[in-house]
Amino acid sequence: MTTLRQTWAVTRYEFRMQIRKRSLWITTATLAVVLTFSQGDRGPRHLPPGTPPREVMASWALLMALLLPIGFGMVLADRLTRDRRLGLASLLESLPIGRGALVAGKYLGGLTSTAVPAALVLLIAAAGETAHRHDPALFAWAAVAFVLVTLPGLAFVAAFALVCPLLTTAPLFRALFVGYWFWGNMLNPDLFPSLTGTLLTPLGDYPATWLMGERALYAGADGWLQFLRPEPGGAAAVAAIALLLALSIPPLALASPLLRRRNLSA
Amino acid sequence: MDIQITGLRRTFGKVTALDGLDLTVPGGMYGLLGTNGAGKTTLMRVLAGVLPPTAGTVRVGGHDLATRTGRLAVQRRLGYLPQDLGLYPDLSAREFLDYVGLLKGLDDTAARRRQIGELLDMVGLADAAPRKLRGFSGGMRRRVGIAQALLGDPALVVVDEPTAGLDPEERIRFRTLLATIAAGRTVLLSTHIVEDVAQTCRDTAVMTRGRVVFNGPVADIVQRAEGVTWELVGQGPPPATGVVVSAVSRPDGTHYRLVSSARPDPRAVPVQPSLEEGYVALMHAGANG
Repeated sequence: MTTLRQTWAVTRYEFRMQIRKRSLWITTATLAVVLTFSQGDRGPRHLPPGTPPREVMASWALLMALLLPIGFGMVLADRLTRDRRLGLASLLESLPIGRGALVAGKYLGGLTSTAVPAALVLLIAAAGETAHRHDPALFAWAAVAFVLVTLPGLAFVAAFALVCPLLTTAPLFRALFVGYWFWGNMLNPDLFPSLTGTLLTPLGDYPATWLMGERALYAGADGWLQFLRPEPGGAAAVAAIALLLALSIPPLALASPLLRRRNLSA
Repeated sequence: MDIQITGLRRTFGKVTALDGLDLTVPGGMYGLLGTNGAGKTTLMRVLAGVLPPTAGTVRVGGHDLATRTGRLAVQRRLGYLPQDLGLYPDLSAREFLDYVGLLKGLDDTAARRRQIGELLDMVGLADAAPRKLRGFSGGMRRRVGIAQALLGDPALVVVDEPTAGLDPEERIRFRTLLATIAAGRTVLLSTHIVEDVAQTCRDTAVMTRGRVVFNGPVADIVQRAEGVTWELVGQGPPPATGVVVSAVSRPDGTHYRLVSSARPDPRAVPVQPSLEEGYVALMHAGANG
């Protein structure tokens, strides 16, 4: 019980500190505006009247997932390393709280703090769409799209953004992360071997394709690691979500020993 | 909460920070003096359960710090103010203390808030409690640091170089605060400022090169400089022999006070030593021994 309470305490305060960061809101707002106004003909603003609300909001969720996670990854990259930078690592190590609870709390706090602006962006998009499509179901589908398209990718990004800087540095991780994001999510697999269009794509390509009823981006497109490119559908979408969530666990499991090694070397 | 340390070694790669250290701290306010690099911070971190010993045993209140259960038992009754403690700039003083209180396991919200209010009052930060920590001065930060250390009414308080970098007024204020909190608990004060120990501790240990070279009443340190403390008035540079403890320029020349086992100059006269000179004599003997 104590561990759970301590994890909850870290989650609450990590969320509080993160949500107050101006950079989080500025990054979210800037990227959302850029994506909204630079979307091409296939973007959700150009979907014809009568398009099912589920397709509209899945399209918005996918659009926002193109760049927002990059910003979130950047913002979250210092959450575990900054305790040491700020001179708090020794104090935290001296408290009767396990590193596992600390890491879990930081992860959940970081994840929820990035999920809030991401959800808000989708709600604003739903409000905008409702104004001219006059379908309140758009809000419900915004929530569904957020849970299925946005959240699993965020969970994946948050885990790696939290832990990888313990192996490198936050600035180096940020540079590598941007490269990875474009290579693993948006690079056409026809042009170059990449993870784009596989079940491992944190962009939410498979769940978005499932909700939209047609290929959203590259989900299932032929390419490298063909076994990870099943035909899009409900089962593939669930598999993609499960895989992303499962892949978030190993970095988090590694966080405690990495943190210990880092603090002992101080 | 007594501390018993036997043969404590702590190494970092090829560097030996603590070299077979033996020390017993009975309780009350206890000083730990030593130069920079003597191993004080490493010892503090071992006592706080932050670093495991490489060898030797450390028992705090009967709990062995080498075991996880022992470490946790000590950490539940510990208040630790690390050297150069940082704070979360985005939190207010009250929020920071609340966070630390929660991590210390103070789950009763009302009791925790009441204690935080009392501690903020005690360290003179009640008015600044809702302000973000990023705007706090060094002295205010240090007071937040001691307030967090006292959360949960710990039986052992470990404070590492708490007055370094503070202006004289803040230093005196902080020292008084430390002396106040020592009633009924063990407070281990690590510092390289002799005056801080002289003003607050009855007993002290002196460390050099990862070992304890003195352990006893503070007043006994003075004795170490008896017969080896000299005063010399001269116009030129200080003599090459001995360690200059102070140099005061006056109309009749510069008044040097030195610690030296031999008369450093034919004009030098023996004088009654101060605590600082006793400390220098001790460190000098430690370095030579």
